[in-house]
Amino acid sequence: MLADGLRRALTLLLRGDPEVLGIAALSIRVALVATLLACLIGVPIGFAIGTTRFRGRRTALTVLNTMLAFPTVLVGLLVWLLLARSGPLGGLGLLYTWWAIVLAEIVLAAPIAAALTAAAVQGIDPRVRRTALTLGAPAWRVHWVVAREVRFALLSAVVVSFGRVLAEVGAAMIVGGNIRHQTRTLTTAVALATSQGDFSLAIALGLVLLALALTVNVLLHMLQGRGDAGAA
Amino acid sequence: MLALRDVTHEYLGRVVADIPALDLPAGTTTALVGPNGSGKSTVLRLLAAVEAPSRGVLELHGRAVRSSAERLHARRAVTLVEQHPLLFDMTVAANLTDALRLRGARRVDGRQISEALELVGAGSLAARPARALSGGEAQRVAIARALLLAPQVLLLDEPLSAADRAAREALGNVLAALRDRGTVVCLSSHVLEEAYRWSSRIFTLVDGRLEGMTPENLFRVDLPPGTGSREVRVGPLRFSIVTDRSGPAIIAVPPEDILVSRTPLDSSALNQFPGRLTAISEDGHGRIRLAVDVGVELITRITPASLSRLELQVGTGVVLSFKAVAVRVF
Repeated sequence: MLADGLRRALTLLLRGDPEVLGIAALSIRVALVATLLACLIGVPIGFAIGTTRFRGRRTALTVLNTMLAFPTVLVGLLVWLLLARSGPLGGLGLLYTWWAIVLAEIVLAAPIAAALTAAAVQGIDPRVRRTALTLGAPAWRVHWVVAREVRFALLSAVVVSFGRVLAEVGAAMIVGGNIRHQTRTLTTAVALATSQGDFSLAIALGLVLLALALTVNVLLHMLQGRGDAGAA
Repeated sequence: MLALRDVTHEYLGRVVADIPALDLPAGTTTALVGPNGSGKSTVLRLLAAVEAPSRGVLELHGRAVRSSAERLHARRAVTLVEQHPLLFDMTVAANLTDALRLRGARRVDGRQISEALELVGAGSLAARPARALSGGEAQRVAIARALLLAPQVLLLDEPLSAADRAAREALGNVLAALRDRGTVVCLSSHVLEEAYRWSSRIFTLVDGRLEGMTPENLFRVDLPPGTGSREVRVGPLRFSIVTDRSGPAIIAVPPEDILVSRTPLDSSALNQFPGRLTAISEDGHGRIRLAVDVGVELITRITPASLSRLELQVGTGVVLSFKAVAVRVF
């Protein structure tokens, strides 16, 4: 059954099956938009927690680390309750649209981006900030110099967030509803195809997902290698 | 030009600098001398406006530096080169260009970069990756980077700690060039000879405090193991001292604690050394500064009345006496 499924899956991929390509395109779009927005929120938060000393900083770090372990179905449920017709954001009419999936993925990925950013800037050589200061850089350029110094770690945070969003299934299923051509992503489609016994489609989609995950990991490996070389 | 006033600085609840007043007047080269861990780097960071003092104030041209705008202004007037300077992960030339860009410069003149590097003898390093440089090379490049910014005050933290011969020569060139430009220089060193060689004013820093004594009669010694009263070799002499420390140390004999007599004294002073007067000068505070060669040169101060009573002249044979407990150990 596996060999047969694999053969038919490859045929689907090589033929450029519109169903498979459509699902992959939507998944990538959701992942890119969610990652971008999650990093726009998470990276500055992580930067602030990692570079400034303020009351409650320890608590902020604990909350952040707890959010890393948030069950995805719970996030899906919370976002569903927010976006449901009777919920506080029900008027936006976003439930069961791809924007709803984006919103849920932001809740999942922003803490990852924030935590990895905080860890990167916390561990930075204190001379980096001091050097930028004594060279007469204004405050925003001092931040820029710190970010530049940990650029590979920051890029890793982006890539890890992207990987997390791409592979997530629980929240996407709950808030997206797995609607064909609208909110059906690679992961939710694999789940549905498997439950319907359409193994060739499930395997084909799984292979696309695997290829994307592999690309992300190779990218991450390369970035970490460059980061290590830069730090040496 | 630049000054600290009533400054106390704490780190993790511990006082690391306690400076009632420290002035760096225009046209001077000042050295902060003290053993490792005495707070020299902290004082330089406070002067550089890189750290704000826990209490007290930094003054630039007589005006307090408090707001963030004033601190930025001060950091553009004062540049610090750290003991182990950090260069960014790019080429040497790019590091210098970057320093100008960090201040908002849009156009950077390549000749300026080359000249700054040439002045410290690092012209050949321009294309090298900065993080692959040796400690001495990195220090020279960091000095070139600071010079490029043409600061009014240049602070150098242990500029010779990683120095090779090239770095020493480079520092000589740099200090001469800075004197011509009228730049105020303050450098720290744990080696007194360096401080004397490079600077016109010397302050001693011990445990974050400026010591009232002048840093004269300082000697690097190797203290024998043991506690309490013992003898330590200083050049051809043996000084009696009292300390519980052992190993490498710096000892100081405050000039005010040295008695001058024509003949040996019958006293409690364990240290008595005959010698010859090599120089007599006024110290600017109404006292007479005597330099006496007793095998090593010792400086002492007496009143003009004592000078005439003892009928001292250059070449006169004298005996210097000081108690073992007068010798301070750092």
